[in-house]
Amino acid sequence: MVPRGDPASLIEGCVSSECEGHVSTFTEQLERLRAQTVAEIEGALSTAELDDIERNVLGGKGQLTALLRQLGSLDPSERPEAGRESNRIKQELAILLAQRKETLGSSELVERLESERIDITLPGRVPQIGVIHPVFQMIEELSDIFALMGFQTVFGREVESGFYNFDQLNIPSDHPARDVWDTFLVQSDGEEIVLRTHTSPMQARVMEQTSPPVRVIVPGRTYRYEAQDASHEWMFHQLEGLAVDERITLADLKGVLQELARQLFGPRRKIRFRCDFFPFVEPGVDFAVDCAICDGAGCRVCKHSGWLEMGGAGMVHRKVLEAVGYDADKYSGFAFGLGIERMVMMRHGVDDVRAFAGNDLRFLQQFAAKTVGAGSVAA
Amino acid sequence: MRVPLKWLQEFVEIDVDATELARKLTLAGLEVEKIDHIGSEWDKVFTAVVQKVERHPDADRLVLATVEAGEHQLTVVTGAPNIAAGQNVVLALAGARLIDGHSDSGQYKTLKPGKIRGIMSEGMVCSEKELGMSDEHEGILVLPDDAPVGLPLQDYLGDTVLEFEITPNLAHDFSVLGVAREIGALYHAALTEPGRIDLESVPGAKTDLITIDAPDLCSRYIGAVVRGVDVGPSPEWIARRLRQAGVRSINNIVDVTNYVMLEYGQPLHAFDFERLAGQRIIVRRAGDGERMETLDHIERVLDADMLVIADSDRAIALAGVMGGTDTEVSDTTTSILLESAAFDMKSVRRTSRLLKLRSDASARFERGVDPNLAAIGIGRALELLLQVSPGAEIVEAADVYPAPAVPRRLTMRFDRIEHLLGVGFPEEDVIRVLTDLEFQPELEGGDLTVTIPTFRQDVSIPEDIVEEVGRVLGYDNVPATLPVGQTVPVVRDPNFLLQTKLRQTLTAAGASEAITYITASGSMLSTFGANGGEVGVLTPRPLDSLLQLINPLNAERPYLRNTLIPALLETAASNLRHRRGVKLFELARVYLPAGRNQLPEEIQTLGIVLSGQRDALDRFGSNEPLDFFDLKGMVDEALRQVNISGVSYEPAEAPGFHPGRTARIVADDRPIGLIGELHPESARQFDLEGIRVVAGEIDAEALVELSQRQKSSISAPRFLPVEQDLAVVVAEGTPAATVETALRAGAGPLLTGIALFDVFRGPQIGAENKSLAYRLTFTSPGRALTDADLVKVRGKIEKTVKQQAGGKLRV
Repeated sequence: MVPRGDPASLIEGCVSSECEGHVSTFTEQLERLRAQTVAEIEGALSTAELDDIERNVLGGKGQLTALLRQLGSLDPSERPEAGRESNRIKQELAILLAQRKETLGSSELVERLESERIDITLPGRVPQIGVIHPVFQMIEELSDIFALMGFQTVFGREVESGFYNFDQLNIPSDHPARDVWDTFLVQSDGEEIVLRTHTSPMQARVMEQTSPPVRVIVPGRTYRYEAQDASHEWMFHQLEGLAVDERITLADLKGVLQELARQLFGPRRKIRFRCDFFPFVEPGVDFAVDCAICDGAGCRVCKHSGWLEMGGAGMVHRKVLEAVGYDADKYSGFAFGLGIERMVMMRHGVDDVRAFAGNDLRFLQQFAAKTVGAGSVAA
Repeated sequence: MRVPLKWLQEFVEIDVDATELARKLTLAGLEVEKIDHIGSEWDKVFTAVVQKVERHPDADRLVLATVEAGEHQLTVVTGAPNIAAGQNVVLALAGARLIDGHSDSGQYKTLKPGKIRGIMSEGMVCSEKELGMSDEHEGILVLPDDAPVGLPLQDYLGDTVLEFEITPNLAHDFSVLGVAREIGALYHAALTEPGRIDLESVPGAKTDLITIDAPDLCSRYIGAVVRGVDVGPSPEWIARRLRQAGVRSINNIVDVTNYVMLEYGQPLHAFDFERLAGQRIIVRRAGDGERMETLDHIERVLDADMLVIADSDRAIALAGVMGGTDTEVSDTTTSILLESAAFDMKSVRRTSRLLKLRSDASARFERGVDPNLAAIGIGRALELLLQVSPGAEIVEAADVYPAPAVPRRLTMRFDRIEHLLGVGFPEEDVIRVLTDLEFQPELEGGDLTVTIPTFRQDVSIPEDIVEEVGRVLGYDNVPATLPVGQTVPVVRDPNFLLQTKLRQTLTAAGASEAITYITASGSMLSTFGANGGEVGVLTPRPLDSLLQLINPLNAERPYLRNTLIPALLETAASNLRHRRGVKLFELARVYLPAGRNQLPEEIQTLGIVLSGQRDALDRFGSNEPLDFFDLKGMVDEALRQVNISGVSYEPAEAPGFHPGRTARIVADDRPIGLIGELHPESARQFDLEGIRVVAGEIDAEALVELSQRQKSSISAPRFLPVEQDLAVVVAEGTPAATVETALRAGAGPLLTGIALFDVFRGPQIGAENKSLAYRLTFTSPGRALTDADLVKVRGKIEKTVKQQAGGKLRV
């Protein structure tokens, strides 16, 4: 075998002037090189060896290339034949190389891949992703649902005057209804200042700044002066809804709330109104959704009533409309309020409202798997 | 309010299941919170008669009673001191479950026959306590003489009690009669009222028995004098009704006043007439500082806005709230003055609130009691008085009622009902409902005119009438429609949009959102305060200028916070008890005082706190703690995501923070945030001792402004970028930001990326120096860049680095 690394060695001496006229020698050399190379290609055990052969024979400084340079010194009559033969051999070798490379290459690949086997049961590289607080997941979802029904999301202040929190909502200071809201009072020598007990003050604030038609929702923090337990929290979130226009009816309220219930709890849900009292609506109702667990038949979750209370609502009271200068005979409106935490609790079966401001990441991270659309209610 | 079903049935004939009745009342607005089945636990317990009582042969204190209850006749050994032959009693047979009368645990025990001092006792004669009716265990319960014998006790004494939640608007429902009227309307059933004495038939008082000095607070006062009363225990049926309604039985006179209050909603009071100085009643305002002792034996100090009932000398009752001990009806009372009056609701509410004294009477007066009810109530009470004290004589009565209440009228369009409810009801149904509720409706030419009974003070506008119709005919009849009409363009609130984007980015960066309480203690805030100066992080204010709650739930935390960080630190600390590391953020308001007695400025800020290990415990994780650069990187990316660039970080010192690891975030020469590592002392204050904590607070509203200002145009890249690595040697004290600014200045508009990838210090560059290695990325929108371009740029960079950062490029 020709030692590698010296492409000229094979034909050394034969390109000298003494060889002149030995046409048969060129063809012989060509043939010898071909046979030798074929043997080498067949004997090669790796693609790296084949790369070496290719470089040594076909490369710019390779043996065949060197041989071809002698073509010019041949008799012109022999040149065409010798040239054709050279090209044929060159092609043959190239094809052989490629074929052999493919054969060797694929088995090498198989070997390599085999050696790279991993334990796919090992844990993956987990990106750390945080969780949007379930309250805000719900607020964003509600905002989307109501946007589809033409409601704009607005926000209001949390530290509020007694005037907007109560008086503008037909809850005068000497009315027993004021006792219903256990109120945090802020120190003030002047006007009464409170932590808003509901998102309702925005009813008046929104209407003061715009004329009908009005369609808004107001999510936000609200505060009640009460001791905490599994179902009471002094700070929580509400969502207020308000629509005012000519000919808004209680039936419209039912339709909007039914749509809400269906988006949140599934397409078969329906809404029930029960007469209730809130000074800023007349008629006033509270609204419940039929229990998604038992389809309203009664189960542990709905305390065997078939219904789960969602919030309070009603037709905006004449005095509330008049307080902001609306013509209460021309315009009517509905308003509703619901507890955001309560919606999350209903949907996911959370049984302790204190968990929301508790911020234990073990609790919050369970909300990473966000339900898309109307999910099923947890039992 | 607790209403026994049998009491209701005296007023209205109904025969429906209690659960169904409760459901219907609840839907109509009278919420039944609970249905109490009294006596359902009385199994194997019967009414019985004591046939004979003999001495126990072997025990002085025990007797053998032969008791008969229908087919059962047994011998019972008992120690009851009050047992006597001929009495009607309650007999429990073996197997009955009774409360242990000798213990206070209230636990039930099953009765077993057993020998007592050698004699077999086959059952038990029961006390009220054993039956769970009261704590009375001195003697056995003796039933009235006319009690039927042999009846299961539940049939005789049992009842179903509906427990109502009475909202403030339901004054007219605050009585058995009120509930009965509702039922009458819901089931279209007629009401029957029990007997009462007509006040007109009582002789008028000859003297000035009653004087109203404060007619603004007392619109009517009826006083009736009854002599020859015999004060004693109430008949069993009155005591039972009161007990079922949750009112304690006192004596026959007081019980009658309470009975009528429960029945009609008219609070009444009985004074011992002999003890009234001058034997007269004056309704007046109290003197400032005037004192009187109320029936609960507490001396009350009154003010001049409180209404009292007085005699010639002194206040003897708080009008509408509670009577006084001086004139209380006692065992020795023989004549009484019975009061039935109408007091101003606001005045009663004020007095009751100021004195923290609530009573069944004040609960009713606060909601408003119809002055026309006073005569009906006293008539019913007089009727009952004669029953419970047959020797009594109604001597005289006075009714001071200067301005009698008259029914109001209201006219509305009939179709207002349909316009508001979205469903129309037949005229005859509407008329029937209103009539059953004792309105007087008239329909003429589309106008509905309604005469409103004086007991419906809650009804004054057309919508009130609509509600009456809707709730009784049922809101289930209201269809579900969607509002039609003009649409309102929905404008999305930029603050909310930005917050949503921040939430998404920060959670993607691994942080979780917290919602923390808005109140803070002085010490929490002072951690971030200079000595005696301002407290806070982003928006420091003097502590004593911050808003404070008058009634905080936790007295130590009265302040409305002006920084989110303390609460986030608490949250971090509690989570680090069960985690390696925490990344928390909150988007919430801080409350900045806007001046005395003003509503505060509420600013939305973003608070972030990071602490503990950066990575989860796994084979890929490093064991590195989170530090300043985790926070800075997170903030940078959050800002980039909301389209804000060009903010700078300036070294800052802030109370509570590490003096050398704190930065102010500046945009347009305006500070918009502060981030830094906590001072170890601050961390310790929040139980984060020995652990690095980084925290920051950013003005989220300023971000909205910045985010909207910068317009970004986006193009698709067509040519490959060219990268060039440069190391810049500068003095140790030169901030990296200065170097970067110099590089940017020299690189010009072709620079599309710059990344610091190494900081090197070593003898070969001089001890006073450091080398910062950057990879610069250049791209041209219009052509492929050449080496010549880079050579040119490099030359410029060399110059700016020298001029602006005093550094040179390392070769």
